[in-house]
Amino acid sequence: MSGQGSAGGATAIELIGVDVRYHDRQALAGIDLRIDPGERVALIGGNGAGKSTLLRLVAGTLAPTAGTVELFGTGVGSLDRLAVARRLGVVPQAAALPFAARVEEVVALGRIPHEHPFRGAGPADRAAVDAAIARVGVEALVGRDARELSLGERQLVLIAMAVAQATPILLLDEPTVHLDLRHQVAAMDLLVGLNEGDGTTILAVLHDLGLAAHFFPRLVLLDHGRVIGDGPPRDVLTPARIRSVFGVDPALVRLAS
Amino acid sequence: MSARSRRSRLALAIALVLPIVVGCSTPAGQAPTPTPAPTAAATLAPSPTPTPLAAFPVDLTDDDGAGVTLTAQPQTIVSLTPATTEILFKLGAGARVAATTDFDDYPPEALGLPHVASYTAVDVEKIVGLGADLVIAGGNSFNDPAAIRQLRDLHVPVLVVYARNLDGVLKDIELIGRAVGASDAATALTASMEAGFQEVAAATHLLDRPRVFYELDATNGLYTAAKDSVYEEMITLAGGKPITTDSPTDFSIPLEKVIAADPQIILLGDAAYGVTPDAVKARPGWEVMSAVKSSAIRGVNDLIITRPGPRLVDGLRELARAIHPEATIPSPEPTTAPAVPASPAASAS
Amino acid sequence: MASRSEPIAPVRPVDAAHLARRARPIVLLAVGLAALAVALVLGVGLGSVSIAPGDTIAILAHRLLGLDVAPTWAPSTETIVMELRLPRVLTAMSVGVGLAVAGTTFQGLLRNPLADPYVLGTASGAALGAAIAVIVPIRVVIFQFGLLHALAFAGALVAVYTVYRLSRTGGLAPLTSLLLTGYAVGSLLAAGLAMAMYLSGAALGQIFSYLLGGFDGSSWSRLAAAAPLIGFGSVAISLRARSLDGLLLGEETAAHLGIDVRRERAILLALASLITAAAVAVSGLIGFVGLVVPHVVRLLVGPSARSLLPLSALGGAALLAFADLAARLLGEIPVGVVTAVIGAPFFLALLRRVRAGYEL
Repeated sequence: MSGQGSAGGATAIELIGVDVRYHDRQALAGIDLRIDPGERVALIGGNGAGKSTLLRLVAGTLAPTAGTVELFGTGVGSLDRLAVARRLGVVPQAAALPFAARVEEVVALGRIPHEHPFRGAGPADRAAVDAAIARVGVEALVGRDARELSLGERQLVLIAMAVAQATPILLLDEPTVHLDLRHQVAAMDLLVGLNEGDGTTILAVLHDLGLAAHFFPRLVLLDHGRVIGDGPPRDVLTPARIRSVFGVDPALVRLAS
Repeated sequence: MSARSRRSRLALAIALVLPIVVGCSTPAGQAPTPTPAPTAAATLAPSPTPTPLAAFPVDLTDDDGAGVTLTAQPQTIVSLTPATTEILFKLGAGARVAATTDFDDYPPEALGLPHVASYTAVDVEKIVGLGADLVIAGGNSFNDPAAIRQLRDLHVPVLVVYARNLDGVLKDIELIGRAVGASDAATALTASMEAGFQEVAAATHLLDRPRVFYELDATNGLYTAAKDSVYEEMITLAGGKPITTDSPTDFSIPLEKVIAADPQIILLGDAAYGVTPDAVKARPGWEVMSAVKSSAIRGVNDLIITRPGPRLVDGLRELARAIHPEATIPSPEPTTAPAVPASPAASAS
Repeated sequence: MASRSEPIAPVRPVDAAHLARRARPIVLLAVGLAALAVALVLGVGLGSVSIAPGDTIAILAHRLLGLDVAPTWAPSTETIVMELRLPRVLTAMSVGVGLAVAGTTFQGLLRNPLADPYVLGTASGAALGAAIAVIVPIRVVIFQFGLLHALAFAGALVAVYTVYRLSRTGGLAPLTSLLLTGYAVGSLLAAGLAMAMYLSGAALGQIFSYLLGGFDGSSWSRLAAAAPLIGFGSVAISLRARSLDGLLLGEETAAHLGIDVRRERAILLALASLITAAAVAVSGLIGFVGLVVPHVVRLLVGPSARSLLPLSALGGAALLAFADLAARLLGEIPVGVVTAVIGAPFFLALLRRVRAGYEL
């Protein structure tokens, strides 16, 4: 299951004995997680299970209370932000835009870690932006004020921004919540393409267990801040777990394939 | 009362009243009259050879403590306060005054001159353009200190005057006299003003001293003479007992304090803005005051009472008549007759 | 099943309009420079004393370019042009640059379209400093600044530093905390200002004229003190344009894009405050320039700080130079009145455009 595309050596993402406490609340406890380069992993679990906290740890915007988080063998805390941004892109659930900005201007933000610090975007950066727009299929939105888009369209623009960032690791926080079914599938296809075609390591928080099971070879199930399942969908999503973690009738979860 | 006139009244109050009274640390009791040889005359004794030509170059120290050197008699003078304009014209230097302010109103000959200052700003560029060789400005922020500094940086001589009391007014007149080469005229003017002050003081000092409330403004709160201000000095000289705020910097007074002080005479310095005795009588709470009961409420011309210029004597006479309508106050220009050195009980009450 | 889905809509090629938009900053740069040149010539040529245009140009050529022109003008004319008008126009331009750059920075940093250079207490700090300078009976000159300007400068910096330090102690999100702390500290300082004005007596007019803002006291020495600070700050901010761009989508996203948000926020805040303090020290409080200019430029070239900062600087310089000219020609009315008359209607139009929510 894991290790496809891995050239050996360092893991892409590795969490060892990680605890996170917010004041008196234990958000994550004793997390050990290892994701090799080229893996495609879906992070699932109920609300408040610690999925977003785990993403923030990996992105380095949150420091663990205990334990270590490494990207390609280097502690994420010891990397400066620019170095992290060249290794890892993040698609947020949502982002606020205080000023009018065209879609292509938002996508171009993804080039910030790469462009010349003073001269700004060069031809290569512009080409990467155009390519990302084409790849996510948002050409029709070019020229429009990003604030006037539908929620689903905005989500695609944020994905395009992360694609333009062209990092070996891509984190996504519920990238499909506002998409209609067709675009959910399209977005999943895009992730599969980035992963299998470009070798991008992907870690995505997903709520839709069906999508997760169908498009991801490896699922990590979080519950109350602990990893309680890690492996192929059919091993992780047992009827008992669906009932205990999500509190629903397993029959409601359509497990394709 | 319209907002506009209220604003202009406040502006007038600030522009005309405060510069000669605020920040006063010298007791007003040092009246200019107690001795026949006042300090001003002593320090600036008329030179035995009154030749204006010999007076230059001259080194002066102005009321800000700044040294001002004039190499020749100024021919293009800019006056930045109405009082200094009046002084310059009274000293016979009017023909050499090249520009005044937006709010100059006297003498009539000054009215046609270009304006180079408003309440808020001094047009430095215009002053330089006129080629001024002497600028006379008001101290204590009457004119913008930044503009004064700028003029000095451009080597335009600026003489700053700021009189804290009547004595100071006389000194300023003599200072201006020396600056424009009219020392003799200045000495003569101050002597006649002193004589005028003494005559009025002599005419009133044996009379009863009624308690006087001098109203500066009542549109929004009550404003009256501050402690140690020139108002206090003038009212005392005119034979009244001034009701003041108990602070040298605060001109506002609560109504209850006025009621407690029970004025026997109310003088309306704001009469020019349409405040009438009837309006005062109709104010709630005021009916208990003696002045209101006896209808001793009179309007006065605030401008000449407070403007630190040659007409202060007229102002004092007007004030004395308003306080003592029954008495005979000497008319203007009786001249010569050196007044009997009355002891104007400046500190008597 | 996992077939590649077709694009959401037909592909629209990068069209001519798109290219024109990329060229637009260059065009605007040229327009801005031209406007600045016109403002300079008019600002030096017009005033309460009328000077023949030929004389104005001859004096400038003689004094600035060193041309050997036989003086046909009075010495006082030369003084007016060289010692009064030229430093005044250049001061207006410097302050315009400073306010526009600081406004752009504060808006980007606080991610708030309604932010201006005064939002974190610089204005009230400077005003209180100036008022204290007016009421204390000391007269000193520090670095070519009078006490008023020195204390205004210090007051602005102390106020914003206090706001920054206090904002970091609470449990609020950093931006919310900054804005609320700025408001609270600003209110306190305003109370201090009111008290100082109450105590100022005859000097009230001086405080008032400082609050209204203006350039009528401009001089070379004062310009020489303020312009380097404004220039240094503006260049330093422009070199960090990338950080402002990164903040467009929020602090979390900025971090993902490689921006060290805490550090950049502190640096940009310090630079923008330094610029604002230098500007308010020489000119007093002049509103709307720092608020409106960045918005106008943003409408024209989009939100990228790399174009936005230099073009805002140009726009601010030209706007304030023209506003000061108008103020002078209308009889030394406060320049803040002119900028408000120009800026307020624009601001109202802007408010109508601001959407209730701007989630992306």
